[in-house]
Amino acid sequence: MAEASTELRVALIGNPNTGKTSLFNALTGMRQRVGNYSGVTVEKKIGSWALNRDQDVQLIDLPGTYSLSASSLDERIAVDVLAGRVDGLPAPDLIIVVVDVENLQRNLFLASQASELDVPMVIALNCWDVAEKKGLQSDCKLLEQRLGVPVVPTVATRSRGTEELARAVEHAVKKKPMMMRPIWPSAVKTAVQKLHDEFIAKRGEALHTGELQRLIFDRKSAVRERLQTPESEYEGIITDVRAQLYKDGFNPDAAESILRFRFLNPLLNDIIERQAALKKRTATESIDQLLLHRFWGLVVFVGMMYVVFQSVYTWAGPFMDLIEGGTGALQNIASNALAATPMLQSLIADGIIGGVGAFVVFLPQILVLFLFISLLEESGYMARAAFLMDKLFHWCGLNGKSFVPLLSSYACAIPGILATRTISDPKARMITILIAPLMSCSARLPVYLLLIGAFVEPRYGPAVAGAALFAMHFIGALLAAPIAWLLNQTLNKGQKPKPFLMELPPYRAPRLKTMVWRMYESGKEFIIRAGTVIFAMTVIIWALLYFPRSAEVETAVTSAYISEQSGHTENAAIDIQLSPEAEAALAQRIDAAYLEQSYMGRFGKFVQPIFAPAGYDWKITVGVLASFPAREVIISTLGITYALGGEIDETSHDLRNTLTQAKWDSGPRSGEAVFNLPVALSIMVFFALCMQCGATLAVIAKELNWSWAIGSFVTLTVVAWVAAVLTYQISMLFV
Amino acid sequence: MRLDQIKKDGQFRVTKVNCDNESIARLMAMGLLPGQEIRLTHEAPLGDPIAVAFQGCHMSLRLEDAAEVEVEKL
Repeated sequence: MAEASTELRVALIGNPNTGKTSLFNALTGMRQRVGNYSGVTVEKKIGSWALNRDQDVQLIDLPGTYSLSASSLDERIAVDVLAGRVDGLPAPDLIIVVVDVENLQRNLFLASQASELDVPMVIALNCWDVAEKKGLQSDCKLLEQRLGVPVVPTVATRSRGTEELARAVEHAVKKKPMMMRPIWPSAVKTAVQKLHDEFIAKRGEALHTGELQRLIFDRKSAVRERLQTPESEYEGIITDVRAQLYKDGFNPDAAESILRFRFLNPLLNDIIERQAALKKRTATESIDQLLLHRFWGLVVFVGMMYVVFQSVYTWAGPFMDLIEGGTGALQNIASNALAATPMLQSLIADGIIGGVGAFVVFLPQILVLFLFISLLEESGYMARAAFLMDKLFHWCGLNGKSFVPLLSSYACAIPGILATRTISDPKARMITILIAPLMSCSARLPVYLLLIGAFVEPRYGPAVAGAALFAMHFIGALLAAPIAWLLNQTLNKGQKPKPFLMELPPYRAPRLKTMVWRMYESGKEFIIRAGTVIFAMTVIIWALLYFPRSAEVETAVTSAYISEQSGHTENAAIDIQLSPEAEAALAQRIDAAYLEQSYMGRFGKFVQPIFAPAGYDWKITVGVLASFPAREVIISTLGITYALGGEIDETSHDLRNTLTQAKWDSGPRSGEAVFNLPVALSIMVFFALCMQCGATLAVIAKELNWSWAIGSFVTLTVVAWVAAVLTYQISMLFV
Repeated sequence: MRLDQIKKDGQFRVTKVNCDNESIARLMAMGLLPGQEIRLTHEAPLGDPIAVAFQGCHMSLRLEDAAEVEVEKL
C-alpha cells in the first residue's frame, strides 16, 4: 500500500437516500473496486477520482448512515474509516458530506458528528432537481459562511457540479476547512476532559475527541472495542462520567441529539423556510395515498410482484435457451475435436463446458431480477413494499425487505440470495439467505412435471395434477416459516434485531444508467465470485461419474448385447454389422454400465439402504446423488441409469414409460414396480426441500461463509430425507 | 397520548421520548425530539408498521417503537 499512502484520500459520507452512491459513480465512473471490510459483510467501495489532469484521489464510499452512533455495523465502519482505524486505510485527508437539500437539518447532524473527528470537510449539497430553482446559489454562500466549510451544489444523477466539487476539494486540501462545532455546555466539556485524562493522558490510548464523545453519548459504542484498556477498568469510568452528566441535567442518551439540533436549527431556520416553498413532497404523498392504501396498495403490490416474477421467468427464458443451445453446440464441437481422446473429450465436453454452462445459464435471470430491483429501489417503491409486508415477516425475525428476495427465489435462489443485500439488518438478512433455497426454484419444475405427468395425471386427472404441482411449490415455504422462527430464536440470542426504521423516500424517476450499472455489477459478481467454486465442483462430480473406466465393461456389455441380438450364446465375433438403432441402444447400455461401475454408481448402491425407507432403488439413489451439484441433472441421470441415453427431457414419453415399467432387479421386492405414486411423491418432496444446487451453495458461502453454507446444506438434506421418508411411508398406507 | 395511538387527522407535537429504546435513539438523531411537530401519514394494511412525517421526511416505524414516544394534539 506504499503508493496509496502518497495519494490523497477522500471519504464520502451521507444519509441514505441522499444520492451519495450516484455521486460516487459520477466521480469515479468505472474506476472503482468493490470488496468487503475484513471480517464483516459491509461493502467497501473505493474508486479513483481524477481531480484534475495531474492528480487522482482515492475516493472511499462509506455506507449510508443517519448518525455515527456506531450501533450498527455500517456506522461502525464509517467511524473507523474516518478515524483511520481500518488496516490499509489511513485516516482520510478530507471528508465530503453529501447533504440532501430537502433534509438539511437531519443531514447536517451527521456532518456535525463527523466534524468532531478533526478531518477537513467539504459539503456537497445534492439537490436532485431542485437545483434549478433560484435562491439555491445564495443559500450555498450563506451556508458556507455559517458552517465554515465549502458548500457545493451538485446534481449527482446528472453528473452536474462535479467540476466545482473538484475545485473545492483541491482548495480544501490546502486550506483544511473545519466545520463549526457546537459550543458544548461545561458539563459535556468536563466529561470529555475526564475521559481525556483517563484514557489519553493516563493510559496513552490513541483517541480523537470525537471518539471520546462517542464513548460518552453511545451506550454500546464500537469505539470501546478498540481500547487497549481492559473492559473491567474502563467500564466504571464511563459509567461515572455518564452518571455525572445525568446529574448535571443532561441525559447522556439524549444530550447529543438535543444539543446538536439546538446548534444547527438557528443556522438553518431561514434557509429551510425558503426551501420549503420549493419542496414538492405533495406529489409523493398523493401517490402514496394509493400505493400505501390498505386495500388498493396491496392490489398494486401483488400486481407488481406478479410482473417481476413473471418477467424473471419469461424474459430470461429465451436467453437461457440460447445459452443452453450455445453450451450444446460448444459441447458438440469439443466432442468432435477431441474424439480421439475419450477421457479428455468427456472432461471438457461433459464436465467443464456442461458444468460451466449449467451455471452461466442463471445469468439472464439474475440480470432481469436486478433490473427490477434497481427499478424498485431507485423509484422509491422498495421501501413501500417492505412497509406493506413487514407485519407478515416480523414474527419470525424477518422484515418486510425479505419479501422480494424470497419471491425471486421462486425463479432461482441465486439472484434471490444476492438480492438480500437490500436487507440492512444482518440477522434478518442471514435468515433470509438460509431459507431462500427452500423456495421452489424453476429448476425443480422439470422433476415435478416428469413425475406428476407419469404418476399423478394419468390416474387422477389434470385437476389433481395441478393441485400437486401447486402443493410442491408451497411445501418449501411452509417449512421455511418455522425454520426462520427457530433460527431467529437461536442465532445470536443476545443481539437484538436492528430496529426496523425505514425512510419512505420521495418517488423519483429511475435512471437507466444506474439500472444498467446494477445489472452489470450483480452479473459480474455472480460470474467471478461463485464461478470459480462451481467450476471446481463440477469437475469433481464429473470425475466421480466417469472413473473408474475399464475397457472390460464395454467389451462385456457389447458381447452380451450382440449375443442377445443374434440369438446364440457363443462368442459371435467382431464382424456383425449393427443397425444404427441397435448401435444407439448399445451405446446407451454401455453408458448405463459405466455409470453403474463409476465411483458415484458404487456409492449410490452403497448408500441405497439409507434411501430405502423413502422407496428409492439404487438407480434413483444415484440420480439423487448426481443431482447434488444441480438438481435438473436427475432427468438425464435417470435417462442413463434406465438405459435411455442422456438426451432426455421431462416431457419424453420414453422416459415416462420406462419409469412406470421399471422393476426392482434384486432384494426383497424383486420384480415389483420401482415407481408408484408414493415413490414419485417422495422424490418430489425430496427435491422440493433439498439444496441440490452447487451454485446456490457457493453463493451462500460467498455471502455468509463456508460453515453456514455447509451447515445449511447438511440441515436441508436431513430435512429433505426425513420429509421424503415420511411422505413415502404415510402415502404407502393409502395405496 | 402515545405515537402509536394517534389518528391520521391532525398535527401532533412530541412531548417525551424514551431514549432507552434503540430505535428511538436513532429517531432522535434524525430530529425526533421533544417539541418536534409530527403527523401520521399511513398505516400498513395489517395495522403495523406506521409511517409518520416530521422534519420533511417520512419514516416508517413499528408500533412497539412508536409506543415509546409521547405526543400531544395541536
